[in-house]
Amino acid sequence: MRKVWAITLNTFREAIRNKVLYSLLFFAVLVIVASRAFGALSVNEEVRLTVDLGLAGMSLFLVIIAIFIGVNLVYKELERKTVYTLLPKPIHRYQFVLGKFLGLTLTLFIQTLVMAFVLAAVLWSQGAEVSGPIVRLMVLIFFEVVVVTAIAVFFSSFSTPFLSGMFTIGIFLLGRSVPDIRAVAAKITQPLLSSLLEGVSAIVPNLRYYFVTGADIKGQHVSVNGTFVDWGYVGTAAGYASIYTALVLLFAMALFSRRDFI
Amino acid sequence: MPAKVHTEKQSMSQSTSTPVLRTHNLAKTFALGFFRKKVHAVRDVSLEVKKGEIFGLLGPNGAGKTTTLKVLMGLIKPTAGSAEVFGRPAGHIVAKAQLGYLPESPYFYDYLTSLEFLVLVGELCGLRRRESRLRAEKLLERVELSHAANLALRRYSKGMLQRVGLAQALINNPQLVVLDEPLTGLDPLGRKQLRELIAELRNEGKTVVLSSHILSDVEALADRVAILVKGRMVASGKLSELLDTRVINTEITISSPPEALVKALAAHDITPRLVGDVAHFTLEQESATDEVVDLIRTHGARLMALIPRKESLEDVVVRQAAVVDAQSESPNAQTPNAKTGGA
Ligand SMILES: Nc1ncnc2c1ncn2[C@@H]1O[C@H](COP(=O)(O)OP(=O)(O)OP(=O)(O)O)[C@@H](O)[C@H]1O
Ligand SMILES: [Mg+2]
Repeated sequence: MRKVWAITLNTFREAIRNKVLYSLLFFAVLVIVASRAFGALSVNEEVRLTVDLGLAGMSLFLVIIAIFIGVNLVYKELERKTVYTLLPKPIHRYQFVLGKFLGLTLTLFIQTLVMAFVLAAVLWSQGAEVSGPIVRLMVLIFFEVVVVTAIAVFFSSFSTPFLSGMFTIGIFLLGRSVPDIRAVAAKITQPLLSSLLEGVSAIVPNLRYYFVTGADIKGQHVSVNGTFVDWGYVGTAAGYASIYTALVLLFAMALFSRRDFI
Repeated sequence: MPAKVHTEKQSMSQSTSTPVLRTHNLAKTFALGFFRKKVHAVRDVSLEVKKGEIFGLLGPNGAGKTTTLKVLMGLIKPTAGSAEVFGRPAGHIVAKAQLGYLPESPYFYDYLTSLEFLVLVGELCGLRRRESRLRAEKLLERVELSHAANLALRRYSKGMLQRVGLAQALINNPQLVVLDEPLTGLDPLGRKQLRELIAELRNEGKTVVLSSHILSDVEALADRVAILVKGRMVASGKLSELLDTRVINTEITISSPPEALVKALAAHDITPRLVGDVAHFTLEQESATDEVVDLIRTHGARLMALIPRKESLEDVVVRQAAVVDAQSESPNAQTPNAKTGGA
């Protein structure tokens, strides 16, 4: 475990010494702060707008950062031939993949915290505070990002950053539309196409679990500003994310263990 | 994971019987591009390295040295045959715990300083951070990089990176050190220091495997060598066995030979080539040298040069390369099984 941890810390160190990361973080903070300005435009609902825009910006930027770093993560090691030095060390290849993934997750966790603090500060300046629903939504956002990270790492363990990025974005978009795909599949009479869509919706992660605002759950309209999902729901969603992530990582490790490093 | 000391002890008792490193009919074929065009990087290489040996892997560019070493490090899997390190399949974690590897033209995380990098590598070898740091500092001193310990690796020169590469290969105090082209990029002083370092490793009872296409580098260091040409092992053995140490022939140059001398030489079956008034000839038997020199002197000719030629490693490689070329043209080519340098 010490070996995995060493790789985790090093991946984290690599990320925080990466200038691109800072510019992305900067933009994310900018969006969150700007959401206050938008909020000010609507007289009665300023806090509501700040919260909605701020959280949407947070989710978007975390996903972008996860994909950007995730697809480069393993590829960079191959391209720069650092694997030739690291893999002959007494580590298992799966430990390498796991360490890289955990390092990226740690990076994203810190980023989530930073963004959360910025949003809290903005709300505080508006005389509002971070409510329970906001915290629960932030937790959901983080777990969605963990799933996306695992998918990015999976593709990056055997493909180029560009292709990995395309695949990951594709799966992210499909994942966000799982209920819609299911609805279409139910309507379509063509059996082959229908089962194809069923299959896709079964394989891609159902990211709608983490994108709850505006959805109807148990007959109730969900909104961060009104009725929101409880901690039980968040726990279940986190469990689903963990299982999905573990499976994807297992596949990534298996592929990585088999390949040649020529 | 078993404690480190434990595995080292195991290897000691084991390595007296099992070779440190062994390949058996090893082959690696790359399939390239859309048509999966085959490149036979290594074909049918069987070699063994024993404990305490300095072993040289020689061959021209593209001979398959790096590929062979990568298979032994577990980076790539053999297409056929087997590769073992400390009696375990290449890439096994227990084998990896006892070896250090310097890749060809190494490249490391450029956002780290050399000290940070070595500490990381030490931790990957299972060392605690404090111990790792101590060893890292010592090794940086050993490769004379202490002054640059806190400089980011992206600011290092090629030779400095090569030194970092050596240091990281030694951080776990390995029983086996595998160096791919270790001398490239080093300045003359660096080369001298590396030779000394390898000699030190030998004195500590370590096994060293190094590859090179510069034969004289290996000639001075290695106890035994294997020569690869186009993926085939064309010769292997002790250098003294591989090289014919006897004088092959002696080249003699004299100026303005008198008529009488030419006749006297003809009696010895020697017809000199005349270039201007300088005559060259090659003496095949070493034993005749004294006699011929006496002849030259009594006839009052001036001896300009007398060069005894011994076979060098270059000769062996060139000769074997020609053999392989000839063979790969015939369809059922076989590995030349030359054990020694004798033709
Ligand atoms: N990644 C690869 N893909 C395809 N072919 C490769 C690859 N790497 C090496 N080869 C081929 O394998 C053969 C052996 O290459 P290798 O790098 O092992 O040679 P080498 O003996 O180390 O040469 P050098 O002295 O130049 O380092 C070459 O013909 C090379 O073209
Ligand atoms: Mg090479």
